[in-house]
Amino acid sequence: MSASTAAPTRLRRPTLAAALRRGWSPTNAITALILIALIIADLSIQPALANLFQIGLLIETALPLILLSVAQTFVVLVGGIDLSVGGMFVVANAITAQWVGLHGGAHQWLVLVAVGFGLAMGALNGLLVVGLRFQPFIATLGTWTIFNGIALTILPTDGGSPPPFLSNLLINEVAGIPTSIVILVAIFVAWRALRATRFGVRIYAVGADEERARLNGTPVRRVKLAVYMLAGLCAALAGIYAAGANASGTPTGGDPYILTSVAAVVIGGASLRGGEGGVGMTMMAAMALTLINDIVGAENLNTWVSVAAASALLLAMVIVRTGINAAIARRRASGRPTTGVGGAIPARAGGSVSERGES
Amino acid sequence: MSGAGDWIRERQSTLLAYALTAALFIVGVIHSSGFAAGSSIRQMLVFASFVGFAALGQTLVILAGGLDLSVPWLMGFGGVELSRLSASGVPAGVAIVIVIAIGVGIGLLNGIGVTWLRVPPIVMTLAMGGLIQAYLLGVGELQSSGDTVPKVAVDIASNRAGPIPVIAIVWFAVAVAAGLVIARTAFGRRIHSVGDNEVVARLSGIRVDRVRLATYAISGAASTFGGIVLAGYVGTTYLEIGAPYLFTSIAAVVIGGASILGGRGTYWGTVAGALTLTVLSALLPLFQLSTADLDIVYGVVILVGVWLSSSGHSALASLWARSRNPDGAISPRGDPDGSR
Repeated sequence: MSASTAAPTRLRRPTLAAALRRGWSPTNAITALILIALIIADLSIQPALANLFQIGLLIETALPLILLSVAQTFVVLVGGIDLSVGGMFVVANAITAQWVGLHGGAHQWLVLVAVGFGLAMGALNGLLVVGLRFQPFIATLGTWTIFNGIALTILPTDGGSPPPFLSNLLINEVAGIPTSIVILVAIFVAWRALRATRFGVRIYAVGADEERARLNGTPVRRVKLAVYMLAGLCAALAGIYAAGANASGTPTGGDPYILTSVAAVVIGGASLRGGEGGVGMTMMAAMALTLINDIVGAENLNTWVSVAAASALLLAMVIVRTGINAAIARRRASGRPTTGVGGAIPARAGGSVSERGES
Repeated sequence: MSGAGDWIRERQSTLLAYALTAALFIVGVIHSSGFAAGSSIRQMLVFASFVGFAALGQTLVILAGGLDLSVPWLMGFGGVELSRLSASGVPAGVAIVIVIAIGVGIGLLNGIGVTWLRVPPIVMTLAMGGLIQAYLLGVGELQSSGDTVPKVAVDIASNRAGPIPVIAIVWFAVAVAAGLVIARTAFGRRIHSVGDNEVVARLSGIRVDRVRLATYAISGAASTFGGIVLAGYVGTTYLEIGAPYLFTSIAAVVIGGASILGGRGTYWGTVAGALTLTVLSALLPLFQLSTADLDIVYGVVILVGVWLSSSGHSALASLWARSRNPDGAISPRGDPDGSR
């Protein structure tokens, strides 16, 4: 029964062209162009960047933000927001630097404890939102400081000693390719795989219209709970990665990531109302933000330039997108006069609500 | 607009927030008699007033259905810009007026972004906070030596009228005024109805954009003023001086019983929220709790406070209803693997 009711989409060969076509939208194109422009700018400033090792280093600095932005994307997709990603990040970071690193990293399996903590913290957020009906903003505002406190309890000051095996694993190469690049690709592949599952479809369905999803038999509450847990998992992985890559832990380093992760999600084209956006675009946006920092650093410009550039980019993207969406809506309204209830949904041929702007 | 039931509900959550403050205070007094000493209470009032000013604009903005994440940077701006202006020879009084006027301007920009450009409040005020931060970073790099805070600001923050700190009296006056404006004036009713239901407000002839614009402008003024006083109290200014107030300004509003979605709340509730947070942070060191424990308790109190004041009754009611009807309203048609 379940197999026949779900996944009504026909099986298509997942060609690159098809993937590009489905991900295409004017705003996604702008994000992609900005990233490409930044890459070109960075390369022209520092031509030495054009080798695999240097690119690996750049992605290494970007990965914590990328993973936290991915976590934020999932929550935003279902119409929520997670202010506690920074807190979950530092808890996993502190566990890795303190507990896993104990006795020279003799107990490597303790990394799994950090992962488990991530899932548990995400579950706490999810239960507050789904079970006690907290506004996501409030629930995660509260858990944000709780998690920060837990991290400080585990690791009172910067430092600790993450296990060497982790550092080696994360900094070395896999078949000549820096690990960071492999991880980046793996995140994207995992996202595409998840997106193709019924759970992936349901995330978009819940975000696009919760009531309709409920009426269609989607277990909305369970999907949301799972999404918050997934966000906790991603944030924990970011914390573990940062501890390994820096060979040190920080119990207070999470806060700057909170609003930056929201910025990356929004620059990536997601709507804070939910149902729009995707991990791929968020990853591009997070990479763009990292490149801005890199360019500012390479040019020896003052720090304020990168803060200003990131903020201006955020504002410009949102304003441009609002304008484009308004223009599209106007054209649609004039081209297609009232078509009843169905006209309310801007459906593309062969597409469904859940496929909008996804990538 | 709001019936008698709503009126009672609003008072209920405000009263509940004051009860929470009182309970925490009593715990403090029982534990250490010095907690109720004049100096201790004075310091708590001063600290609470900083939260109160940061949360004044936040209350109005949230009431009208928005959110202001630029508050901490506006506060930082207040102190830094005042010191910069007075160091370059502007009389302190004039400088304060100029700084607050710029704060109003920044608030108006927030409002314009949210209303005319239709940028979501979180994004608009986040970006504005970033731009202010960039400005402050730029100023900080231009002049490496820290300017001193002018004496006027120091006086406002540390002088006393009899036994009571001047700043607490100012805060009380502002709270009375804000309470009256929110509850008794047409502007206050408009803020409520805009936050309650924008479409209905528009249809009933309220200029929604103007109301929203005004709330952000007030937030700009109140936050920069709070920053000025905070800098006066601390004696110096630095970039991150306002950072804790992002969290506390929002927490004070929601502990005070306001709905984060807008339409419901009072400034007196926020005052109670500010007092609760301040008494709590004064209380915990008495129990030899570390910063880490403080963070955890802070978060738990916020969650419990919000739950009690806003959704406590309804959540209990729904729990009760569910226990009577274990199947729930929705038939379990979905598949279990959706939660994987």
